[in-house]
Amino acid sequence: MIDLIRFNPEKIYFNYSNYIVFGEETDKFVNGCMIIARDVNELRRKLKESDGIIGVASESIKVNREAVMRKKVDFLLDLKRRRIDYSTVKLSAEKDVIIEISLSKFIESKGVERARLFDETKTLFKIIKKFDAPFILTSGANNFYHLRPYRQISDFFKMLGADVKRALYWMERLGRRLFDDRYIMNGLEII
Amino acid sequence: MKGLPPSLKDRKRYIAFQLYSERELNEREVIQAITNKIIDLYGEFGYEMFKLIEFDGKRGIISVKAEGKDKVKNALTLIDRISDVRVLPIVLGVSGTIKSCKKKYLEV
Repeated sequence: MIDLIRFNPEKIYFNYSNYIVFGEETDKFVNGCMIIARDVNELRRKLKESDGIIGVASESIKVNREAVMRKKVDFLLDLKRRRIDYSTVKLSAEKDVIIEISLSKFIESKGVERARLFDETKTLFKIIKKFDAPFILTSGANNFYHLRPYRQISDFFKMLGADVKRALYWMERLGRRLFDDRYIMNGLEII
Repeated sequence: MKGLPPSLKDRKRYIAFQLYSERELNEREVIQAITNKIIDLYGEFGYEMFKLIEFDGKRGIISVKAEGKDKVKNALTLIDRISDVRVLPIVLGVSGTIKSCKKKYLEV
């Protein structure tokens, strides 16, 4: 199992096989490139300069929709105020861009803000289910105290209507895509 | 309620958990934090009564009605501070009896 995090931990905690670290340099784990963009032009410019495993984090619906259509982008990263619409989820299923849903935003927020997040996430899970869009459940931790074991994360999102088995499937597929040299695509691998 | 026939008694579950924290915490602080988080999440109407059966400063067992175990687990998951101390709560597992809970999750 892989977790997407925003800091560089000393070691692997709990039962994960690896971490993808976004926003910080790491030698021990997989380096991810996080692009934070406010508008589409900024996204295009930053995408040209970036390489490797790319995740886009934006509060703008337009940027997220554009990001999904780019071949370079692997993840739509989660933010407290990320906004995704129906058509972005549909496109992510077609273009095979993984939508990250993280726990840390729920830990950081409280009150009405958390209630809004619950509501939005429930709707997001419904749309994801409809299009069978790729998604993964992560801790999204930006410090040690926001890390959680995968089981705890999946139990939490089960309450919000997540298809936990499907999330695990996408997680396994991501693991193969990143670490299995023989894997080319679903149903096609070098024997 | 006391004196209930066995058929009306609630079935219980025992949740083993561990806290990674900057300093050692006491039982009172932990109970207060979990209570506040459950009320934050589910409100007074959805509040689930629980008991902290044992706690050694790091690991402990919570007793709760079987139907309410998910509420307590979710509350534990969302806790990141207890009395201004940063904590990382881990749910080690859930068991039907205290004995098996200790044996499975708390014995080193």
